[in-house]
Amino acid sequence: MANERTLVCGVQGSFHTSTKFFDEAESDYFGELEEALIHGDPITSSHGPKKGIVETARPPTLEIFPSWPMRHQHHQHPTVEQRKSEQSVESSEESGSVKDTANTTSTGVIGGAQSQVQCRGRGATEGEAQKGLVVIMANGAPQRTGAQQPPPSAPQIQYDNSHTEKKKIIAGSTRKDGKLLDAKTLRRLAQNREAARKSRLRKKAYVQQLETSRIRLQQLEHDLQRARTQGMLLAGCGASSGEMSSGAAMFNMDYTNWLEEEGRHVSDLRAGLDAHLIDNNLSSIVDDCITHYDTLFHLKARLAQTDAFHLLTGLWTSPAERCFMWMGGFRPSDLIKIVTPHLDPLTEQQVIRLCSLQQSSQQAEEALWQGFDQLHQFLSATLSSGPLSTDVGADVSNYAGLMDIAIEKISSLENFVRQADHLRRQTLHQLREILTTRQAARCLLAIGEYYRRLRALSSVWATRPREALIGNETASPNTVTDLQAIQQSQYAHYSAF
Amino acid sequence: MQYGATTESWYVAAATHAMDPLERVERLASENAVVIFSVSTCCMCHAVKRLFCGMGVHPTVHELDMDPLGRDIERALARLLGVVPPVVPVVFIGGKLIGAMDRVMASHINGSLVPLLKEAGALWL
Repeated sequence: MANERTLVCGVQGSFHTSTKFFDEAESDYFGELEEALIHGDPITSSHGPKKGIVETARPPTLEIFPSWPMRHQHHQHPTVEQRKSEQSVESSEESGSVKDTANTTSTGVIGGAQSQVQCRGRGATEGEAQKGLVVIMANGAPQRTGAQQPPPSAPQIQYDNSHTEKKKIIAGSTRKDGKLLDAKTLRRLAQNREAARKSRLRKKAYVQQLETSRIRLQQLEHDLQRARTQGMLLAGCGASSGEMSSGAAMFNMDYTNWLEEEGRHVSDLRAGLDAHLIDNNLSSIVDDCITHYDTLFHLKARLAQTDAFHLLTGLWTSPAERCFMWMGGFRPSDLIKIVTPHLDPLTEQQVIRLCSLQQSSQQAEEALWQGFDQLHQFLSATLSSGPLSTDVGADVSNYAGLMDIAIEKISSLENFVRQADHLRRQTLHQLREILTTRQAARCLLAIGEYYRRLRALSSVWATRPREALIGNETASPNTVTDLQAIQQSQYAHYSAF
Repeated sequence: MQYGATTESWYVAAATHAMDPLERVERLASENAVVIFSVSTCCMCHAVKRLFCGMGVHPTVHELDMDPLGRDIERALARLLGVVPPVVPVVFIGGKLIGAMDRVMASHINGSLVPLLKEAGALWL
């Protein structure tokens, strides 16, 4: 609520209560619950007109009659008509200095009351007060009842400046119970007030900080959620790249979906094998699985037209997969090596065919790799042609021509990625040809499980316990725990409050 | 197969040297066991050459960018394959069109390339 926030913050502390009695009609008051509580100590009335004191038993609205008379008022503001009826208490005391206090507390004690108070300095301190005053909304009939204390409904809370306090003390403030306080006590009380005020300010600042952090956290989570659904985050590793092309982002999202479905296919295979299905049924599961791989190759081929780099750099996979990637995916001969032990028993014919498959895929891989390497050599030669030490601007035409050639070379990257995927696809299909249905099921299960383990390795590695794990870890599971750690440390810091 | 009809027409064509690009292609293709139409700067062509060399085959390579009639031949090849240029590399084994890189790869993986090579006399084992 506005009135909660508009409490004095950072003011140099020169708040004065105004005495209606002394001024004209309006006076403004600041009220603080704690202030009131502090002022609950009876203050002797030897210091002059006594303002009402806040009784500790009356939390929300306080009536603290200022202990010191207001010298003068510069701003007339309608005082707050507070709802409480401390009035009566004060009126008995308020003979001289009358203050209208608007009671607003940062704790929202005045539930809903719109109190507009403006403190202004008086005399020497007026300037200071002006500086940091906070205007609180107020409504309420201005109190102009002269000697009449603030209207019955207006609790009075006084907010005093310790500087003027002394003067006022001298002026003789009395508490409503008539007890006179000596200077020392008043000084102590004033210091307590100051300390309390500072404490309140700090607490308020902390609360605000918490609020903003909470809001920021919510926004972050929201963005995270949104970005994930848009595929900007990688599956399992949470890395974000601001430079991803839209096609790449879409592909990442598609790949995430593909992975989920692949998990389902793998469990179907496992279930089918365990259930010892007849070959026809198992065969359909196997073929579904292979078709599923085909869709992935199709997706990759589509992305290769626009963003071959994304496929080759492997940002769509987990770090471990990416590290050992070959031309944007798995190396077919490696795959054959992985699955062969799990296919036993194999007939001799199958063994021969598998061996020749492995050999041909190795030859094909080697040939592709050599072509890719030649592409790299050409590109190197092109980019390093011409003087490398000169600035671009010096020889723009040469630079442009150079870039054109380089771009033409790069365009064949798409070809290589597609040929590599084509090779992978052919290898999978050939495996299906060579193997029986059950063996094919076991083969696909093995492939699925192998890559699942590789992905798990990535996330386990990323989330391994490390010291000072704050901030820039890429693994998403860490983010939440980090934030919690930060929040806990913040709580610890402010536990004094 | 979609290339089948075209292939038959080649054998019907006259043996005399013709400037018709298609016929020239056919003539060149039947001169050697393994014929590759390539472009010297093309990296995929380099890959296919390495593939055959890695298997122990010595293909005859026609660099179309070195040939004055190269563009016509490329267009003819494109028509043969049913794609738009650039079309290289294109491989013929035993005078028969195999296709571009993906066809060569696929046939190697499914084990049909080696028998073809042996049949054409390019490989001895």
